[in-house]
Amino acid sequence: MPKKEKYLLRASIALAAVFAVAPASNAMHIMEGYLPAGYCVAWGLICLPFLIAGFFSLKNKVKENRRNLTLIAMSGAFIFVISSLKIPSVTGSCSHMTGTGLGAVLFGPASVSVLGIIVLIFQAVLLAHGGLTTLGANTFSMAIAGPLVSFGIYRLCQKMKINRRAGIFLAAFLGDLFTYCVTSIQLALAYPSEAGGVGASVVKFLGVFAPTQLPLAVIEGILTVVIVIGLETYAKPELKSIGFFKEKEAR
Amino acid sequence: MIVIDKLCYRSRLRYVNASEKFLYTVVTLVICVAGRSPAAAAAAFAVNGILTVRKGGIPLSRYIKLLMVPLAFLILGSAAVIVNISKTPLDAFAFPVGDWYITGSRDSVTDGALLWAVALSAVSCLYFLSLNTTMTDILEVLRKLHVPPLLIELMLLIYRFIFVLLETASAITTAQKSRLGNRNYRTKVRAFGSMCSALFIQAFRRANALYDAMESRCYDGGVRVLSEEQPVSRKEICYIAVFEIILLAVTIGSRVI
Repeated sequence: MPKKEKYLLRASIALAAVFAVAPASNAMHIMEGYLPAGYCVAWGLICLPFLIAGFFSLKNKVKENRRNLTLIAMSGAFIFVISSLKIPSVTGSCSHMTGTGLGAVLFGPASVSVLGIIVLIFQAVLLAHGGLTTLGANTFSMAIAGPLVSFGIYRLCQKMKINRRAGIFLAAFLGDLFTYCVTSIQLALAYPSEAGGVGASVVKFLGVFAPTQLPLAVIEGILTVVIVIGLETYAKPELKSIGFFKEKEAR
Repeated sequence: MIVIDKLCYRSRLRYVNASEKFLYTVVTLVICVAGRSPAAAAAAFAVNGILTVRKGGIPLSRYIKLLMVPLAFLILGSAAVIVNISKTPLDAFAFPVGDWYITGSRDSVTDGALLWAVALSAVSCLYFLSLNTTMTDILEVLRKLHVPPLLIELMLLIYRFIFVLLETASAITTAQKSRLGNRNYRTKVRAFGSMCSALFIQAFRRANALYDAMESRCYDGGVRVLSEEQPVSRKEICYIAVFEIILLAVTIGSRVI
């Protein structure tokens, strides 16, 4: 197995060289038309309960105070813009944040699920990242699974009194990694390997995307921390109004 | 600032009824993705290309460049489908590496090729919609499909805010660059972070200002915009129906053979 992994690594480095040439964005959106129809529908259905829960949570927020509508919309636009801007990358290739970690920490996983699907629709239509048929699968990995993990880890770190910034880094970093793992599993389920089935296929997809996704996750973690530090310095009242600072005050 | 958005306002097919375009895109997409027939995929790819470039007047070079956007994913993804690592060589190709083989079977190679065809045709469908239909028109179609009004409203506001925020972001980035904010990697990261937090604050202020403006104009929980409705053309509906039937026949035909 270690030998196999070594070759995988080499093969993935060779592919990364190809990747560096291709004019590309490397957030892990599954492209349009890549998944068979059955999987598109299945992932869409899996997303449905989360989306409905998110929708009602948003509806309540708007009912509570109408002012929240523009705030929620602004948050959605903020996530879109963050994820569409080129981030400073080491290799010079053009890469983007997913913004899911930041979104989950700031706004909570329930609103991010609905905002996430809207952002993904805009990304598909306006930027051609992802697609309409793969919307369900992408929503599950980027707007549901990733944010849930980010939020869980953030909360866990708070409970365990781990340094706040380290917690935010871990939340964004692991949320990103989890998104990448879920996407690999989604791809592997649709295209199991002839030699070794779904398991081997998962390893293959993980290996192929690792050279772009691992550094990206680290960068995303660092950037999220830098952004949150900036927010804590300059935007305290705003953060309070979305409930980000509540726990800290109580302590 | 967003290329596709700019191009779609220039498209000559912009004023064709949006529901027609939406229907055409969705049906073609479903046939391509569910049918997985290379012939149908090629046909859809060609027709979408002709419609977008010839009829829509989108520059060919732009169109090709846009088709390259998902290329990296396609290369990496299909490599993972075609290439296997196993102890026994498969029938299409095999490179021995130590005890193992980097290998692939004929089936997986055809699978990979089919994947390229289907994915590219699907992307061309998506581009037909997004390069010829403005986002506001798409939202109008969604409204007709009874998507909850809260979602539509959110999408409308988000769509508007995206450009406001992008403009702010680019202005801040320019200011940072002119002050050597991207001198080395460290400063780049710091500049990006502080830009994002400044953006967040801006977003917040704008959202509040917008709410005040809306409220002072009698906002009562619904954003209503005047929509320009283009009449449905019977001729176009016929063309679409004929094309889809041909596409379906080709798909079923290639299944039987």
